[in-house]
Amino acid sequence: MKAAVDKGLRTGVIFGIVIVVMFLIGFTVTGAELVGKLFGVSTPSNTMPSLSFFALFMILMGTWTGTIAAQHPLVEADTWKRALTAGISAGAFSGLLAAVIGFLFGGLNSSKIDPRTYLPSISPESIKMFLFGQTSLVGSLMIFALLTFSALAGASLSYFLRSNNGLKSGTSAATNSISAVMRSERMTSLLQNKYARYVMMLVFAAILLILPRTWGSYWNYVFGTVGIYIILGLGLNIITGWAGQLVIGYVAFFAVGAYTFSLLTAPEPHHLMLNFWVALGLGVLAAGISGLLIGLPILNLRGDYLAIVTLGFAEIIRIMLKSDLMTAYTAGPRGIRDIAGPTLFGKSFISDVDFMYLIIIAVLVVTFLANRLQNSRTGKAWYAINLDETVARATGINAFASKLLALSLSAAVAGLAGALFASRNQFTGPDDHALMVSINVICLVIVGGIGNIPGIFLGAFALKGLPEILRETESYRLLIFGVLLIVMMRLRPEGFLPAKRPKLEKNSGKEA
Amino acid sequence: MSTCIETKQVSKIFGGLTAVNTVDVVVTENIIASIIGPNGAGKTTLFNCISGYYTPEHGQIEFYGMPIQGQPTYAVATMGIARTYQNIRLFGDMTAIENIMVGQYPRFKAGWVDAVLSTRRERDEEKQSIEESVRLLKFVGLAGLGDSLARNLPYGAQRRLEIARALANKPRLLLLDEPTAGMNPQETGKMTHFIRSLRDELGITILLIEHDMRVVMDISDQITVLDYGTKIAEGKPKEIQSNQRVIEAYLGPDVTSLTKKYQLRKKQRYDAKS
Repeated sequence: MKAAVDKGLRTGVIFGIVIVVMFLIGFTVTGAELVGKLFGVSTPSNTMPSLSFFALFMILMGTWTGTIAAQHPLVEADTWKRALTAGISAGAFSGLLAAVIGFLFGGLNSSKIDPRTYLPSISPESIKMFLFGQTSLVGSLMIFALLTFSALAGASLSYFLRSNNGLKSGTSAATNSISAVMRSERMTSLLQNKYARYVMMLVFAAILLILPRTWGSYWNYVFGTVGIYIILGLGLNIITGWAGQLVIGYVAFFAVGAYTFSLLTAPEPHHLMLNFWVALGLGVLAAGISGLLIGLPILNLRGDYLAIVTLGFAEIIRIMLKSDLMTAYTAGPRGIRDIAGPTLFGKSFISDVDFMYLIIIAVLVVTFLANRLQNSRTGKAWYAINLDETVARATGINAFASKLLALSLSAAVAGLAGALFASRNQFTGPDDHALMVSINVICLVIVGGIGNIPGIFLGAFALKGLPEILRETESYRLLIFGVLLIVMMRLRPEGFLPAKRPKLEKNSGKEA
Repeated sequence: MSTCIETKQVSKIFGGLTAVNTVDVVVTENIIASIIGPNGAGKTTLFNCISGYYTPEHGQIEFYGMPIQGQPTYAVATMGIARTYQNIRLFGDMTAIENIMVGQYPRFKAGWVDAVLSTRRERDEEKQSIEESVRLLKFVGLAGLGDSLARNLPYGAQRRLEIARALANKPRLLLLDEPTAGMNPQETGKMTHFIRSLRDELGITILLIEHDMRVVMDISDQITVLDYGTKIAEGKPKEIQSNQRVIEAYLGPDVTSLTKKYQLRKKQRYDAKS
């Protein structure tokens, strides 16, 4: 029994702190808005979401607290009494913390001190909502009771689920069953069946064909960005995921591609006005060559030199593009406007739907390329260098040449993404190529699953698509990013979808 | 019989320390030669010089008459010198069969363009590569374990996989750095048998470093003894066993008197007990 109370208190502390921090940064309001969105009620800006949504949000938090508290092995081993004890003590403790903070701020509110002078995200309205519109004493008691009871409910729910189905918890059960289905014999044989695969491909292609027409321009824009980030992620994955050489300034190659393309097609500053496809090819080529040139002097070295050198390269490019010195050649900080859109047989198609198709095709091409390379002789050499460069050299792999190839392929893919990006926006400037782009790409590769192509798709959707869907959370994007990365590193250090190795021995008879 | 590998007056110096000092070793084709010596004698350094990991400061290393010192590691490997490591160094996150396929790297030609276009060369090579790897797995006794990750294999299997990876390149010279380290007598016996079969069945010349004297005396055709970087003896196992300098290098000078003292004490203890 003591173990249960112990575990409950520890969980309660964590969740209590989380709730207090949420309150302090104003997330309680955003959370309530999100809950409202689930029910299809959008909250206009400058108004507070309804109290019931806030209550529901708090109940969710409390339930979560209780579920986690009841999951400790010491608690699990025994009766429902333990689970409920853990739940109730967790809920009570987090509720206590929340009540104390609510009481304090309620006091501030009633003595007409504006907390915004110290904590900009808290408004008197949000404090009022936190106390359910009651006086500070009644409100804090209410929130205490709410959290305690919902934690109790969460604990009994988790106990109920476990004792009925032998499941650990709702969420892990769902992921487990999905992966079990994916791994089961029937599924693998279905995936390996040629015709089944063709049918799936057709369905997939049909979906890709129809979706951009039905989305509307906003979603085309969002998913176009996701597509470009998928391309970037796949490109970075070649050098960082497979060959294991960290590149921090990946945006440099993106910029080289974008600027080469833009300067060749825009009316200003050079009036070259080249054809879209020619310029696209040249942009890819220029980026690839820049990767080659960067790699030549440093890839003979091991360790993180490449990361530092590319970081410097990215900054040099961005600052050069901004400088007065280059204004005559690259249009300076104003950026380049009126960049050409794609043309086909003399007809230009620059509508958002058409461009979405172009991005989808580019994503498919890069995916195809990456997929072919992944388990080829070259891909194995890259992975060998990643795992142990000394041994890779001793087995006859020219590590320098391999790494150079990986870097220039990577850079060329980034160039493609850059050219598409510039063409879609019909504008590119130095601020499009800030270091944050590189960080985003590294994050999406790591979160999705380093070295794994589906993982990169998932990462791009999670990191570039979700924030657009959850617009309310925009101001917390970096916070959520950080939390997500820490949680990832703790729970799934290899990413959501870690890379798997192919089964070559088992399949060796079948192919022949 | 032609000479497989020959080191001529090879020296390797680290700062002030001469790790290998004017060492001459001649290994003829198709024999098992051993290098022994106390810890820090420079055995592994000599190995690293041969496999191209270090460039010796002085002297020459010839592989079938071709000078190879100073060449990059991958070029030496491509010529047909393969090696294993004292502490096993497999590509742990790859499967066993992939480890072998990486070992085959220099023997195939398909580049990244072939891979992207899936050319005939790529497909043929891939098929041949997998077939050979499966055969090699069987040869080292790891059939059926090919698809498990290398780091999940048991210790003995990892040792054999490392040798399989070295063999994948069809080497003419195989450098084995303590192949029986950390094995029990039974596994050691199996490994000894296996090494001998490499020489007899595949005709590979083997140069090995080993601390287990029973293994060394059992399988070597030729033994070279190093101490403090210099060669102190060379010859057949019988000759080495009775070589005074070798005994001194291992057990220290005045070993005969020490041995007498030890025996005396043992006898005293025995007497006291009874």
